[in-house]
Amino acid sequence: MSTQPGIEKQRVKVKHKVARRNNIEGWILMLPMVIVLYLMIWRPTVMGAIWSTFRMKGYTPHEFIGLRNYIEVVKDTQFLPTLWNTVMYVFWSLVVGYLPPVILAIMINEMVHFKNGFKIVLYLPQIVPGVAALLMWYYIYYPDSSGLLNFFLAKFGIDPYIWLNDGRFTILYIVISMTWSGFAGTMVLYYAAVQSISSELYEAAIIDGAGMLKRVRYVTIPQLSGVLLLTFVRQIISVFQVVEQPLVMTGGGPNGASTSLGYQLYKYGFVNGRAGHAMALGVIIFFILITLTVLYMRLNKKVEENY
Amino acid sequence: MKNSVTKKHQRMVAFILVCIISLSMCTSCGIKGTVAEKDGKTVISVGSWPQKSGPSLEKIERQKAEFEADNPDVIIQPDSWTFDLKTFYPKAEAGLLPTLYYTFFTELAQVINAEYAADITAVLNKRGYKDKFNPKIMDLISRDNKVFAFPYSAYVLGLAYNTELFRQAGLMEADGTPKQPKTWNELAEFAQKIKQATGKAGFVFPTANNVGGWIFTCLAWSFGVKFIDKNAEGKWIATFNSPECVEALQFIKDLRWKYDVLPANTLIDGNEYYKLYATGNAGMLIAAGDVGKKCAPYEMPVDHIGIMALPAGPARHVTLMGGGVYLIANNATEKQKDAAVRWIEKRGYGYELTEDAKQTIENNIKEELEKGYIIGIKSMSVWAEDTEIEKYKNAMIEKYANSNMNHVRLYNEFVQNRNVEVQPEEPVCAQDLYGVLDNCIQEVLLNENADCARLIENACNDFQVNYLDNLDY
Repeated sequence: MSTQPGIEKQRVKVKHKVARRNNIEGWILMLPMVIVLYLMIWRPTVMGAIWSTFRMKGYTPHEFIGLRNYIEVVKDTQFLPTLWNTVMYVFWSLVVGYLPPVILAIMINEMVHFKNGFKIVLYLPQIVPGVAALLMWYYIYYPDSSGLLNFFLAKFGIDPYIWLNDGRFTILYIVISMTWSGFAGTMVLYYAAVQSISSELYEAAIIDGAGMLKRVRYVTIPQLSGVLLLTFVRQIISVFQVVEQPLVMTGGGPNGASTSLGYQLYKYGFVNGRAGHAMALGVIIFFILITLTVLYMRLNKKVEENY
Repeated sequence: MKNSVTKKHQRMVAFILVCIISLSMCTSCGIKGTVAEKDGKTVISVGSWPQKSGPSLEKIERQKAEFEADNPDVIIQPDSWTFDLKTFYPKAEAGLLPTLYYTFFTELAQVINAEYAADITAVLNKRGYKDKFNPKIMDLISRDNKVFAFPYSAYVLGLAYNTELFRQAGLMEADGTPKQPKTWNELAEFAQKIKQATGKAGFVFPTANNVGGWIFTCLAWSFGVKFIDKNAEGKWIATFNSPECVEALQFIKDLRWKYDVLPANTLIDGNEYYKLYATGNAGMLIAAGDVGKKCAPYEMPVDHIGIMALPAGPARHVTLMGGGVYLIANNATEKQKDAAVRWIEKRGYGYELTEDAKQTIENNIKEELEKGYIIGIKSMSVWAEDTEIEKYKNAMIEKYANSNMNHVRLYNEFVQNRNVEVQPEEPVCAQDLYGVLDNCIQEVLLNENADCARLIENACNDFQVNYLDNLDY
């Protein structure tokens, strides 16, 4: 009887020793990634937030000025128009770009013939290098008769249209080009998710007399809801940071109509030499995105609880 | 039990994080700064070192060998980095700038204000450069009587034109001399003639990525606009909400809606600007003497490139000055500064016309010929007085000219006879000003009903509130 607690103690000791060894091995395995994350993500993020409260000389913090950079960024007469533009980028990207990858993934899943060929064709835009795709779209939208779209309009006797120069719709046209370049990657995600849906569910639906649309409505969509939510949040986050498209295609114009917060940040940091303002705006964007994400997650939780 | 395990975990995470932080701090400490001395010799790294094998690399390697033989106390370390605002700040902050690098007048104020350029007053005085530089350039390269840069080239804006389109529009003399528009209105009329005769845009004006604002400031000066001024308390005030500036913007608007001489595209950045001209789709544009270099990627025949004087405005005949400068990294020692200036002289950019300088000038021209650039366009001198080196340079340009000199004669006279006022960029927030003006230009070119007075009023207010009010100096 007296040896029992001793054995138990010994056993616990061995268990801890193994756990500790596993722990250390785990940390060693993770260490390279942790170092990279620290150097490339965590440290710059934290330092950016700290330095955003300093007056910068180049990239050197010079004098602590509290929230002055934030006040100057928010007081900038272009801040609200730029914020609105960014919201419009997100809005149009959800309207134009959110559903096509889902629809295409479902279509491919339902296809019987030429499935692989169709997949390859649809994936081609994804492999066009980013800036090359933007320049291609720049010339597609070119506002004189040498632009591809105007070339087709001319075939129907229609005068050339100014496309990206039309400030009312510049963001929409940019979003169309973004969707073309990016939809294939999302489509693959959806396709993988569609493929993982149990065929028994479809068989049961067919037995119950469900047609293709009903199968999509009652089987596919509910099964994809997790991925749909994920891509929805991802899309908001990535489109909110749009920089390259206005940089390459419009320079933020016409008259600031396509300047996004991300592009404004780029201009602060790399064109106008205002690193403090750039970092303050970065932190503002960070908090806007965190707030949006948390709000959406909570909203979604409530919606799910109701069903 | 569970508590103690959690505490152990916390301790371990904290320990690892402390290790990472220390490690990264040590790493960043380690990379800060470059080697200033080796084996008792002064080491200087020199930026923009050519990478491709060819005449440029061979020439600079030969000069390096000669320099190191003549100056046994110095070691030259090649560095391929070339100035670019996107990479400049991180390199400067990490202390990894080459000891000697170059940039342009447009970026100079940012670099000096950020304190990344070394004060080289002492070494310049020691080597005899006191009062040698052109006073207009001195204003740009110095602060509080301290000199921060060594200018090596200077230019002014002129009016570039396509000789072939000019010929078709009947705007060329038989000997290849173009007719010179004397005023902005004459320029608009010339542009109309080009459009009528060729169907191409008569004139192109940039509008995006701050290039439009940059060119517009020069045009507006000629209308009598003063963009900024210091008030009695020493605060910078935006002063361009004036009838003159409205008139200048109205001229740009008229180019679209009255004369209809501009290209269809309204979002024209620097690349698009030169492309339209170089591909024969625009008859004229405001450009500097390096227009040939800008057009070379589009293989514009050198015979089609011409440049002349900038037209005068209603108030002034004025042009904008630009150019290139050598800078020395802010962490350089006195010995490095001295060695760097000696290297600049070896490269042929010093005040004296040495054999090295002669060789460099001739080789540079030969290289430009090989690259297909136009030879014949002269530049402004960086020196206060006429120098032997400048005379030699101009003689070499004439010797190797590869197109009809009459195509560029009016510009050469414009640059060298000094009858025109030469003005540097606005001293503070120049890039911010250009961005604000870009928006005005885009609006008047896209909206026939745009109100120029209201646009200028808003732009002036935006510039004051967003930029000048935030200045610390």
